[in-house]
Amino acid sequence: MKPSTTTPTDRRRTLKPWLFGIIAGVLFVGAEILLGIYPPSAYAFCLACHVRDLVNTVWNAALGMALETTGLARRALLLTSPGVLLGALAAAALYRERRRQPLERPLPHFLAGLAVMTTGILIFGCPTRIVLRAGYGEVYGIAALAGLLAGIAGGTLLLRLRRRG
Amino acid sequence: MGEAWWLSLAFLGIGALVGFLAQRSRMCFVAGFRDWLLVRDTELLLGLFSFLATVWLLSSLGYALGLLHQSMPEYGALEARTAAQGARTAAQGVRDLRGLRLSDARELLGLANRFLYASLAGGALIGFVSVLSGGCVLRQHVLAAQGSRNAWLFLAGFYAAVPLYYLFLARYLGWVYR
Repeated sequence: MKPSTTTPTDRRRTLKPWLFGIIAGVLFVGAEILLGIYPPSAYAFCLACHVRDLVNTVWNAALGMALETTGLARRALLLTSPGVLLGALAAAALYRERRRQPLERPLPHFLAGLAVMTTGILIFGCPTRIVLRAGYGEVYGIAALAGLLAGIAGGTLLLRLRRRG
Repeated sequence: MGEAWWLSLAFLGIGALVGFLAQRSRMCFVAGFRDWLLVRDTELLLGLFSFLATVWLLSSLGYALGLLHQSMPEYGALEARTAAQGARTAAQGVRDLRGLRLSDARELLGLANRFLYASLAGGALIGFVSVLSGGCVLRQHVLAAQGSRNAWLFLAGFYAAVPLYYLFLARYLGWVYR
């Protein structure tokens, strides 16, 4: 699995990441206040927790089970993850950046998804919400952010060693 | 349409807006630190810092004006666990940095507070796996929308993990909340 990302000078990038950070921060805190997104708090955006609530809501409705959801999920369907897919699809289509990329090493990616979601459910956050919770000044969010940075450093070290070796 | 429909649509809209902007800015919450470590590129890292700073300022303002709820009630979340855990953490007074006193440090950092160490270790696992698979969850959504089959497989695993967790793993991993 090689990092499939941006080169440092990406001419086709039309929005600066620092501006994205400010827009997203205003959007998430503003939405929590204006729409009354509660409980839990700091919950305006999370891909792991919202997917958890969405899947469990659908699962419960279809099979009549009682898997855990948050209080908010009883008031609405948390369609954040499909929304992100639609929004990114619109942007990629509009700027002609959709291209078919071949499947290489499917199993590691599937397992990576499994691992990230399982851990995300356990500690209440995808990377985005970990940073969001840390911004709210919450002790466990800050701990998770510290762990996240350490994990990134470890992964990067492995990438570098593998590339050299 | 009822309130539930509007709120659901609002989440769809928030997601769509964030997805659109993330595609335009190539935002990723793990690639920033990785790029800085590998090639000293700070562009994505600045995105993470500006997000953190904005949220910090606005949430502080929100708490000060009484617009946000003071507590972080989720630990153990979801209702059954919340009662016991919530009572315990509330007694410790350590849910939130604002309420933190020095005398609480022993309670907070003690090994009995498993959730703290689970957060550290879990965060590390998420960071490690995300770097190896090429991006954080948000970035994987964007890559999937751009046509990356690898990201589709990542998302398949992501969605499949939910029933797997609740049907098989919850009873073992729930240990960290107790």
